[in-house]
Amino acid sequence: MPVYWKVFLINGTVLGAATLSLVLAPVSVSRQVVVSEVLVLTIGLGIMLLANALVLRTSLAPVDRVIREMRAEQDASNARALAAQEAERHRIAQELHDEVGQNLTVVLLGLKQLERRAPADLAAELALLREATRDGLDDVRRVARQLRPGVLEDLGLTSALASLTNDFAEHSGASVRRVVAPGLPPLTSEAELVVYRVAQEALTNAARHAAAHDVTLSLTRAGDRVVLEVTDDGHGFDTTRDGAGLRGMRERATLVAGDLTLRSASHGTTVRLAVPVAPA
Amino acid sequence: MTAARLLLADDHALVRRGVRLILDQEPDLTVVAEAGDGAEAVELARSTEVDLVVLDIAMPRMTGLQAAREIGRRTASGEPPRVLMLSMHDNEQYFFESLRVGASGYVLKSVADEDLVEACRAALRGEAFVYPGAMSALVRDYLDRMRRGERVPETVLTEREDEVIKLIAEGSSSKEIAQALTISIKTVERHRANILGKLGMRDRTQLTRYAIRAGLIEP
Repeated sequence: MPVYWKVFLINGTVLGAATLSLVLAPVSVSRQVVVSEVLVLTIGLGIMLLANALVLRTSLAPVDRVIREMRAEQDASNARALAAQEAERHRIAQELHDEVGQNLTVVLLGLKQLERRAPADLAAELALLREATRDGLDDVRRVARQLRPGVLEDLGLTSALASLTNDFAEHSGASVRRVVAPGLPPLTSEAELVVYRVAQEALTNAARHAAAHDVTLSLTRAGDRVVLEVTDDGHGFDTTRDGAGLRGMRERATLVAGDLTLRSASHGTTVRLAVPVAPA
Repeated sequence: MTAARLLLADDHALVRRGVRLILDQEPDLTVVAEAGDGAEAVELARSTEVDLVVLDIAMPRMTGLQAAREIGRRTASGEPPRVLMLSMHDNEQYFFESLRVGASGYVLKSVADEDLVEACRAALRGEAFVYPGAMSALVRDYLDRMRRGERVPETVLTEREDEVIKLIAEGSSSKEIAQALTISIKTVERHRANILGKLGMRDRTQLTRYAIRAGLIEP
């Protein structure tokens, strides 16, 4: 039965019972209401509300449960979608590096050989081809790198964050200070990826939305958690307007049982992510 | 003059062949052995007498970085050979990691046709081959430190070197710098070398020391 009819039926039954009891009970309300009558009416109303509440509660409990389950299911499915997306990106990046990149390298080196032996008029043509191949190789590498930070997998989180901040400094013109506490406990590879992606998003926001000049990125330990903090001196942005970037950061944090907090004011923004340390 | 003996490792046979053809063309370089993965490279480096090992970073069984570390350990028959990394990754972190595991240079595959021979010669001379992406990261870090008033190696750069260092920090390539300053690429390269020398980053040891001090790599 739809929730609407269920509620209607329950309310109808309770009101019906109240009406019936008014009709059948030997009571009347005076024109000038007296205290005892008010008392009886209040008690009656109380019983009516109580009965209504009890019946509604028991009959709507399954609805609440379903909603809770749906929310959990949605979180889980978002998490699965994110994980699937990362896995797919990983696969494509790998393929680009190992197959396309290697083959273009073969072409590049082969063209160089041909160029040496070719007559002058052909050599110039071959040199053009070689430059085009080099551009292709650069493109493949750039795309692969955007898809998946190979450095994270190969060299670890510290190197990946260093590379991220170097890149950021080069492209945004803002200056970045990087503070990574030595001897941080290990994180799961999922958690590392989340820390990396959140740092990436926070830096992007700092440059794109907040026009920051100075950014500090720190990775430290707090109890059994590792904490990433990205602080900028930009003009801040509306954190309640949950743009795709912010929602993405939250979803990723949920993925690894992390906590994301965001403070933004006119003098700067702080993004803080705490993720649990990998179980030993 | 006897040619330097090279060991070449890449899991892609055709890439290996291409690289070999480039190197064998030079009278002072000769490839004496080839390996298809990191573990094989380590074995060959132990059993064959070589002066320089050129390692692809991404290889199965043992990555180039792991192999470089192993090869650097060889001490039974004297000095271990020098190591040069060949890589698809345009990322200064790979360069620093390469230095850390004992390699003296890092060459991007996309410029291997131009830079590889020079990088091999530099490595054989005992100099570091700093690839352009890492150079701009190093220089940017240096300028940042100077601006913040931190202690940096004392240097007196000429006016021209000052112009070049700023362009490098902005990520300009040698070609772009040459165009911007209307000088030849060769001159730019010479300025680059001089700047590295003055900043105390000429060889692997100096570079590694600087990168550790600057917090670019962990000790």
